[in-house]
Amino acid sequence: MIRFEEVWKVFPGDVQAVCDLNLEVAEGETLVLLGTSGSGKTTTMKMVNRLIEPTRGTITVQGRDIQQENPIKLRRRMGYAIQHIGLFPHMSVGGNIGVVPRLLKWQPDKIAERVDKLLDMVGLDPDSFRDRYPAQLSGGQKQRVGVARALAADPPIVLMDEPFGALDPITRDGLQNEFLELESEIQKTILFVTHDVFEAVKMGDRIAMLDEGRLQQVAPPAELVEKPANEFVDQFLGQQRFQLSLLTRSVRTILKEQERPEQAPEGPPPEERLGARMSLVGALDLFKKTGRGDLPVYRGKEYMGELHKDDLLQAVGAVLGELGEER
Amino acid sequence: MSAFWQGLKSFLQERGGEILNALGEHVYLTMAAMGMAIVLAVPVGLILTRAKRADKVVLGIVGVIQTLPSLALVGLMVPLLGAGPKAAIAALFLYALLPIVRNSYTGVRNIDPAITETARAMGMTSREILFRVELPLSVPIIMAGVRTSTVICVGVATLGGVVGAGGLGELIWIGIDRAEDALIFAGALPAMGLALLLDWVLSVGEWLFTPAGMREDKGSAQAGA
Repeated sequence: MIRFEEVWKVFPGDVQAVCDLNLEVAEGETLVLLGTSGSGKTTTMKMVNRLIEPTRGTITVQGRDIQQENPIKLRRRMGYAIQHIGLFPHMSVGGNIGVVPRLLKWQPDKIAERVDKLLDMVGLDPDSFRDRYPAQLSGGQKQRVGVARALAADPPIVLMDEPFGALDPITRDGLQNEFLELESEIQKTILFVTHDVFEAVKMGDRIAMLDEGRLQQVAPPAELVEKPANEFVDQFLGQQRFQLSLLTRSVRTILKEQERPEQAPEGPPPEERLGARMSLVGALDLFKKTGRGDLPVYRGKEYMGELHKDDLLQAVGAVLGELGEER
Repeated sequence: MSAFWQGLKSFLQERGGEILNALGEHVYLTMAAMGMAIVLAVPVGLILTRAKRADKVVLGIVGVIQTLPSLALVGLMVPLLGAGPKAAIAALFLYALLPIVRNSYTGVRNIDPAITETARAMGMTSREILFRVELPLSVPIIMAGVRTSTVICVGVATLGGVVGAGGLGELIWIGIDRAEDALIFAGALPAMGLALLLDWVLSVGEWLFTPAGMREDKGSAQAGA
């Protein structure tokens, strides 16, 4: 969907922001660009919609070299959401969300319909939010509007630069979860920039780790955490290794092979079910919340078996042990 | 006390028509100059935001005009345009340019770059960014420039009296000439009142032109995510 081939960006003064980048983002995938400030992650993202032009190399989007395309048309095909500001203060919420559809000359009634649908989608009541102004919104509400605006014209590709960056941890966590749910429904190709390794692990199908403009490793979150390609990646994960391992290891990986009954013994309420893809941290949480000794595991509607609390604690201990051995 | 009111009454009976006439001329000089200045200066200020180097040059020139003593500027216009309203209006026009050009320019330049970059990233052309984002966002600052210019113009227009353009300045000059304080006040007080009135009218205009989301009375922000 998006492909970087030997892409370089050198800013005046011989500042090498991106060096020899080769990377491909698959259709429907969320690829996270992870790195510290100055790693070249934002520059990389901005080259995709030609806010920044590469010094050398080729970037293709949907099979076409973007240098051959009109940047205005290119940008209107891509959603764009950035950290806190970005909303136009002189336009209402509805006006902000409708910017790209208006640029694309949609009919007004079609735009109004789309605005309401998107507000619903990001959990804001259209009737009470459509006519408000950004100054009247909380930080979380602004982010929601920002995400809705990025999705307005239903673009196949969405670029997001720390879209949840300016939020308190609790609000951010809630919005991340909602966005994951939303994303599983709308199936977009997403390029997501963050410096937060937990956000990267949570949001990404794959993570591309950058440092000083060079790609260090591209891998799914679990692989990045378990098998860092080099010392830099290892150090970046650093102190958080234990938590990250628990976050990237899913319930499925520790579920003992056992005789699976065709049907669940009794259908427990959804809030007392473990998801097969739930992380070990999520599982620990649920055990604590329910106070049960074992919980059924489901993949979608399919019953996978029971997980005993002791097995989970043992797995957590094993992760701790593995990390201990490495030291 | 009653002698004072009697005096004022007879003064106004005698001079009232003349004062009103002068006030009318004064409004005309100011409005004509301001109208032309706005029509020229706002677009120039906006165009300068798109210029690579010309911005410094043009702002410099307009700034130098401003440093010319107003009396000299009015005087210099006479050989070019002849004595009368034309010379006064031309001088006022030149004087009114700087605050409007500069505010239009800085109004756009001071917009948070993140906002204009977002506009660009959403696929707006340079023109669309100017008219849909930058111009609406800089209305309060442009209007502040217009207000400053207007107040300056009302004051400087009194120099129109020197070049035979009429206006309240004429009363003041005659008053100075004859050492008649009442005439000086008869020119100065309406000029002050006019400046205050126009400033107020423009402040209402500023409020009307400012996009709703940016007005001071934003209402209470909602809590929660």
